[in-house]
Amino acid sequence: MSRPTPIDAYPTATSNLQADTENILQDHVPLEGGGGGCVLHKNRHLELLVRNLAQGFPARYVSQDASQPWLMFWTLQSFSALQIAIDPDTKQRAIDTIMQWQHPDGGFGGGSGQAAHLLPTYAAVCSLAIVGRHGPGGGWDQIDRCVMRLYRFDLYPMRRRDKLYKWYLSLKQPDGSFIVSNHGEVDVRGIYCLLVVALILDIMTPELVNGTPAFIASCQTYEGGFSSASHPHIFDGILAAQRPSLGEAHGGYTFCALASWVLLQPYISAGEDAPRVDVRRLLRWLVNMQGLEIELGGFKGRTNKLVDGCYSWWVGGAFALLEALGVSPHVPAPASAHEGETAKPAESGWNDADDSFFNRHALQEFILFAGQHPAGGLRDKPPKNPDAYHTAYCISGLSAAQHRVYPSPARREVVRAAWEGEDGVRAAAFAEALCWTEEDGGSYIVGSAANRVNATHPLFNLTITHAEGIMAHFYKQTVPKRPPKPSH
Amino acid sequence: MADDTTEHVLYAERPEWSDVVPIPQYENIQPLAPIFYTPEYKDATDYFRGIVKTGEKSLRVLQLTETIIRLNPAHYSAWQYRYETLIVISAPLEPELVLTNALTKASPKTYQVWHHRQLLLTALRDPMPELAFNEEVLKADAKNYHTWSHRQWVLAHFDQAELWAGELPFVERLLNEDVRNNSAWHHRFFVSFENGSKGGTGEGADEAVRRELAFVKGKIALAPNNASAWNYLRGALNHTHLPYSTQAAFVELYVVDAVDADADRVLDLENPPPSQGAQLPCLAAIEFMADVHEARGKEGISEAVKLWRSLAHTHDTIRKRYWEFRIRDAVANTSVA
Repeated sequence: MSRPTPIDAYPTATSNLQADTENILQDHVPLEGGGGGCVLHKNRHLELLVRNLAQGFPARYVSQDASQPWLMFWTLQSFSALQIAIDPDTKQRAIDTIMQWQHPDGGFGGGSGQAAHLLPTYAAVCSLAIVGRHGPGGGWDQIDRCVMRLYRFDLYPMRRRDKLYKWYLSLKQPDGSFIVSNHGEVDVRGIYCLLVVALILDIMTPELVNGTPAFIASCQTYEGGFSSASHPHIFDGILAAQRPSLGEAHGGYTFCALASWVLLQPYISAGEDAPRVDVRRLLRWLVNMQGLEIELGGFKGRTNKLVDGCYSWWVGGAFALLEALGVSPHVPAPASAHEGETAKPAESGWNDADDSFFNRHALQEFILFAGQHPAGGLRDKPPKNPDAYHTAYCISGLSAAQHRVYPSPARREVVRAAWEGEDGVRAAAFAEALCWTEEDGGSYIVGSAANRVNATHPLFNLTITHAEGIMAHFYKQTVPKRPPKPSH
Repeated sequence: MADDTTEHVLYAERPEWSDVVPIPQYENIQPLAPIFYTPEYKDATDYFRGIVKTGEKSLRVLQLTETIIRLNPAHYSAWQYRYETLIVISAPLEPELVLTNALTKASPKTYQVWHHRQLLLTALRDPMPELAFNEEVLKADAKNYHTWSHRQWVLAHFDQAELWAGELPFVERLLNEDVRNNSAWHHRFFVSFENGSKGGTGEGADEAVRRELAFVKGKIALAPNNASAWNYLRGALNHTHLPYSTQAAFVELYVVDAVDADADRVLDLENPPPSQGAQLPCLAAIEFMADVHEARGKEGISEAVKLWRSLAHTHDTIRKRYWEFRIRDAVANTSVA
């Protein structure tokens, strides 16, 4: 029996809840020799996903009526991770549904007739990365025609640049942040969603993200993780570099802030006053989110909170992003304060199956033992019911624990060399986004090989194939083929 | 305000709404992954789409958006349209805040309800009662992220001395209730070290850090295996650029294998010892001392490595890989230095 979290003979509400949870989780450890616990019940999960997609979501999902693109994305991305191809008719219906959410003034809303919002815009565009295609009725060019014209700027005059870009600019705040919608709130989830879409659709510009890195950096709290937002402190008309963070360090916000920080790297100019993120403190916070053996090694989202399957992705998926900042378990981090500069990890072996900053084995067991609902679908933890959100992020987290996806210098070179057109920050951002590579022989799968799920792009949470496909289209580039995987 | 006890009449059956043309969500397509709406919800949102199309902003829009918000408090478009309507028709905002109080208590985990409060408070400019309301909501859930970040927004946005004045006693009350409440610790950091320079508590940084170090050490003594308190200690030191070694005498008391039963020794107020119930050694203390030794450079490295090894192999095995990384990293950095 694993050791319980010490209570120091001083129980409080937090430690009581923690102890209860530890007992429940221990009840889900399969008995010695009962290998059945180590199975990913793909078919059960697929049944639930198919039912949601084809028939629909039950009435309790009315609370997600303003998040319909998310329901779509979570479902489609779960299929992708589970290696299930979607038939052409279903794809077409998905495209037609997604395009109904597009707002006439740019961006996508949470449903048909709803206002445009940064979050559903990410979910809609990433869904189109999975099911969309170029050509009439394929979605991609309908975004172009109705909303986002920038990628055809060779065909259209610049003044007809897209509504999406203008809408994005209309949300920009003086502190470099963005509100999520007209009259909406500021938080780093919205910024992450905006940056991913801007990068994928080739509408990222220095103008759009001016001041944004400093905002992201200001959301890092004393614990090392990131909060939802910071408050702009303005003295004598000048924005202070030190801005108080609103809310404590949190797994979801930390993923969004870290991914944003990585995405923004090509747009951050070096210099004395360049914004800084303390990656050492961030790493310490991230590893401390992994629960103890008695919690089956699942991840929590905040200090002294409970493990929850969704943080398998938000925290478990964040470690790969650190590699883009030069922090890798193989290579010592830079010792100076110049975190996140140009230090890049070397191409390196992955001989030790469990060589990582976190315990990949334990996280997979947590998802397999506690994350799966017996009736299909994945969940926060027992005895909770499964839902579309937890199904997607438990599977994505499982993927992050199974595979090592890293920014490959060799792949970066190949993508860079194949770039056609003006070399500049746009070309650099394209290569940075598409250099992520699943390492051959780097997979470590708990249970049988049938438990394998697809690797996912650490920045976008799409498969690498889907990320390459949609970016090649919008940048009008040909992405070089990857070498065929040697059979193991 | 809608009366929950009366039966809901569909907007389609209300004569005063007969001039509005409802718009169904999907026309001409069979959507994939649809939600099975209740008749009330479908009816209200069909009429909402009809209203948005004509751009009507009137008193009855407040009724309609309230219906939708009560059925789905995350319907941001309804909130947004409601806010615009309130402004356009110059509706009094005090009653709106009263209604929002009820909606907040009913759905405290919704982004929109808290943001609506911000919009109202920004216009009303009367932040004092907000702190009391906020504390009430925290009573139901002392770790609600929205409630805490909203409280911090109120303090930072209005930045008035009388708002800040009660915050330390307030957060101390919460930490007395649950010393492991990390949200409360974060709030304490916010109040002590990030309180701006205008309103603030008016004290100097030295004074703040002296008080906070004494406070957090007292809380560590009470229940040493509390990551929130250790993170706070580290945060306070980092923020004020004090070396960790300044706390070595205190932290050493927590790396021993058992509580010193000799309770009669002279009490050092600067360095409160672990409580009798403490489970030692405390892994956060081991980690802290390893950092102290690492900072000493070449002389300290072997001592630090010893401590990291004990974490990797005995006290914190789930993070074995991280501690091994720390060893490799420290050795690499000291050998090149």
